[in-house]
Amino acid sequence: MTGVAPFLTIAEASRLIAAKKLSPVELTKALLARIEAVDPKINAFLAVTEKQALTAARAAERAVMAGNKSPLLGIPVAYKDIYETAGVATTAHSRILRTNVPKDDAETVRRLREAGVVMLGKLATHEFAIGGPAFDLPWPPAKNPWDTRRFTGGSSSGSAAAVAAGLALGALGSDTGGSIRLPAAYCGIAGLKPTPGLVSRRGVIPLAPSLDTAGPMAWTAQDCAILLDVLAGHDPADPASVPGPKISYAKSLDVPVTGLRVGVLRHLYEHDLPGTPELLHAMNHAIATLTSLGCRVDDVTLPSLQEYNAVGRVIISAEAYALHEATLHSRISDYSRTFRIRVLPGALVRASDYIAAQRRRSDLIALTAKAFERVDVLLSTPTQGAAPILTDQRPDDGFARPLLTTLANVAAVPSLAVCAGWTVGGLPLGVEFIGPAWGDATLLRLGHQFEHAAGTRGRRPEL
Amino acid sequence: MSASTAPPLPPVSPAEMQTLVSRAGLSLNPGQMADLVLAWRQVAGLLALIPRDRPMTDDQAYVFRLSPPAATVGVSPASKPAAKAPPARKAATKPAPKATPVRKAAKPTARQAARKLARSQVAKQPTKKPASRKPARRRR
Repeated sequence: MTGVAPFLTIAEASRLIAAKKLSPVELTKALLARIEAVDPKINAFLAVTEKQALTAARAAERAVMAGNKSPLLGIPVAYKDIYETAGVATTAHSRILRTNVPKDDAETVRRLREAGVVMLGKLATHEFAIGGPAFDLPWPPAKNPWDTRRFTGGSSSGSAAAVAAGLALGALGSDTGGSIRLPAAYCGIAGLKPTPGLVSRRGVIPLAPSLDTAGPMAWTAQDCAILLDVLAGHDPADPASVPGPKISYAKSLDVPVTGLRVGVLRHLYEHDLPGTPELLHAMNHAIATLTSLGCRVDDVTLPSLQEYNAVGRVIISAEAYALHEATLHSRISDYSRTFRIRVLPGALVRASDYIAAQRRRSDLIALTAKAFERVDVLLSTPTQGAAPILTDQRPDDGFARPLLTTLANVAAVPSLAVCAGWTVGGLPLGVEFIGPAWGDATLLRLGHQFEHAAGTRGRRPEL
Repeated sequence: MSASTAPPLPPVSPAEMQTLVSRAGLSLNPGQMADLVLAWRQVAGLLALIPRDRPMTDDQAYVFRLSPPAATVGVSPASKPAAKAPPARKAATKPAPKATPVRKAAKPTARQAARKLARSQVAKQPTKKPASRKPARRRR
């Protein structure tokens, strides 16, 4: 990156741009060059919008010279390819939408554009944000920058890979059962699944509307907070959107976490879905780090992971099938095998099954909310261990294992994944902070201070 | 924690699966059918974990939450024809919630859309007398 330091965070780049020590045009050119050099190794991008990026960067540069100091001015980001982008193909990584060119931006894309970000392009995902890596689609799946033989996690696979590899300073992902936090953990970055309703989903291709959330992914929790300051806000065009708290997430990051009550969901990763020895070691280290920050840590028990998982999977299967039914009737062979295996069972889920799942979900929401009477934050992990080998991911093992992340989706609460450390082999491990509804600011604050205390942000993948 | 769940679903024979799939309007090749059979077994296992022993009068999760009456005062009442958008200055002085004008600006209401459609249909029939506009409006 000629003249531009590699691996800048959004916060760092923002400070340099505001001080006129970094040109948005030079930063954008440097990232475009890095994308050209590195992306063929990790397949994070489905499309690079070079011309639009340079136009936006020049506009940002003019605004900077005119004295505008918006924190996201001239910051290059990219979008999971389920976010509609005006005039730029939005494919959902699917043959079905290969020629889909939206007329309007998603509300989140619009907000970021107005804040002065530079869109670098569109990012890989699992097809329609469900399933796993598929090799029977027009584009290959993304690869993990820490070891390109390994899985990124998904479905916001390209978003996590691009940020970890330093190809974009931030990205947007979506999370219906863990699709922001799983890849964030496997790729060693930060990813926030916000409280439902905090961030608009208008213009984001849905998967299961009663569980879908849109959220930021970046190298640090601080960068996620900077993005969330722009993303959060009421959008009447999203029926789930509500006016959230009027606060600055970025400005509250340094309020001390001393005395914060952290409940450890140990049963999730030690019993319900046991983690690897290295993961368990990382979790114990995370608990020690939180204690060193002055948090009061104690174990908490919730219903079993299998219960949250059953409810989440049934709802996703039924709602996704309903969304895709017409296209499955006419173009079933144009979907990947992985997608079909995950979604077709929804055709056989009865209305009474779906309603039973929704009713049980209301119990689980209440039971999870009750836990927050005793603690401020719950601690878990998004994954059982480090990223597995990409080609070991089978299309038909989708329902076999529960996901640790689904709890937060079913319980309708926010959740933040940040890097907890590395395996002996140099692969990232993640930790997950879960908060009560509207507790997003606390999660970002804790994540930010945890990252500093754990010292996990100084290492980047070598590509 | 509720312990009672639905009785396990009986295994589905290939013929029964074919019937279910046809009834769903799907046309699957043998490979796709085999995948569905395996995936359905796993989903059936998940369904068996969901409790069903709730009282009939229990809260329903699938409710619609309406805005409180105060928040809807500013919205065109159903009994009144949709008024033209008020001038910006006037709207700003109204105590109505902020969401209302934004929603109108973002997307026309169903009533407005229907009216627009009716108008366009009328416009396409120049030979008809003006009286024909009335039924078109009433039909809404």
